[in-house]
Amino acid sequence: MRTVARYIFLFMLAALPAWAQESPYFVTYDHHLEEPGNLEIETQSNAGVPRHGEPSYFAPYIELEYGINTRWTSELYLEGQSRSGDSTIFTGWRFENRFRPLAGEHRINPILYFEYENINEASRIQKEIPGQAAEFDVPNSESRHIRAHELETKLILSSDVHDWNISENFIAEKNLSHNEGIEFGYAFGISRPLRTIASAANCHFCRENFIAGAEVFGGVGSTHAFGFQDTAHYLAPALSWQVSDNSSLRFSPAIGLTSKSAAVLLRFGYSYEIRGFKDKLAGLFRSKP
Amino acid sequence: MMKIKMKTAISKMRSQSWKLVLFVAAAWLAAIAAGQNLTYRQDPNWQPPQAAAARSNPLAQNSGAAGGGRKLFLRECSECHGQEGSGRKRAADLLLPQVQKQSDGALFWKITNGNDRHGMPSFSRLPELQRWQLVLYLRQLPVSASTASPAQRE
Repeated sequence: MRTVARYIFLFMLAALPAWAQESPYFVTYDHHLEEPGNLEIETQSNAGVPRHGEPSYFAPYIELEYGINTRWTSELYLEGQSRSGDSTIFTGWRFENRFRPLAGEHRINPILYFEYENINEASRIQKEIPGQAAEFDVPNSESRHIRAHELETKLILSSDVHDWNISENFIAEKNLSHNEGIEFGYAFGISRPLRTIASAANCHFCRENFIAGAEVFGGVGSTHAFGFQDTAHYLAPALSWQVSDNSSLRFSPAIGLTSKSAAVLLRFGYSYEIRGFKDKLAGLFRSKP
Repeated sequence: MMKIKMKTAISKMRSQSWKLVLFVAAAWLAAIAAGQNLTYRQDPNWQPPQAAAARSNPLAQNSGAAGGGRKLFLRECSECHGQEGSGRKRAADLLLPQVQKQSDGALFWKITNGNDRHGMPSFSRLPELQRWQLVLYLRQLPVSASTASPAQRE
């Protein structure tokens, strides 16, 4: 019964709506923040097939992203994981903030990223994979008891060049629960809309509604063992489709590049943006005329 | 005895971590309240560089592109500026002569860079041509008769 309830919970995570005209990246961040007062609800999932016969896994998560002002976006994540032949569990939450230190557009736009994670070692959303690669053969019954309170920072550098977006993320993560040193990682992405001029018609399948790109991400060890040994790296083509004015779908298959990487990751995302959320919320508490 | 001590320590840690979570949440909400931009005021200091203001619209001769501009306007701008562009509490009335007399390049620069002080986000995530389409559409909005100069009324 508990397993059924867990599957229903995971299904609900995956079925809820998530944002509009998104970059196609799942791991790399660019410099475009959420617009002030808007709330984006996004569900994403990461399905992984390990390379050496370990059970495959499915990790959905919900992301609530709110634009606090033009230079500050805040996000809350709730995540779960289901492992083939094993259990389905809640793996924790993350709270993330992105700040834009410089006003206006620049050739290179820096963004500062800070995240607190309260997760366990069963987490498989793989939003980033700093340090050494994760072990895929540990059952959920064990890994769920290993808590990880982590602080993560990223330096995001992003440029828009002739409608191409080029983004570079440099990641440093510190696990406060265990002495793993400071772990490092990276993510690079490039993307472009398939058409750069908008047609007058409201069309779903116009090329302007699609953005294609690719990203590469991985870990580079830690302060204990810096380098590429035992690290995971992925190359992932990615596509986003703006389904309507405020919702979009994303898809990205990632290919593992090293023996420690999973063979394949399949990612899906659906997002829904509530524009003027702050005003709508305030309207609920306004006195009746 | 050892077990009881452990339990006490764990419950103490839990209560401390809840206090920390509550403190962080309260601090976050206070910071959000301080970071809001609730009312619109014109910003005389929001001026584009000369070179940016002098740029001309590459779609100026393509009047058909304004249709796409209207679609983009309704999607991206109408939440704050209103469906007719006449503005709301926290965004400019785009029909005002002060807005309409600005050059295409100036409007393009403002759409691209936004204005942090007044809550106008940057729309650089839109491709360049789409931002020019927005400028083209803004030019089709009627100038407010009440505040327009005699020359603009003609």
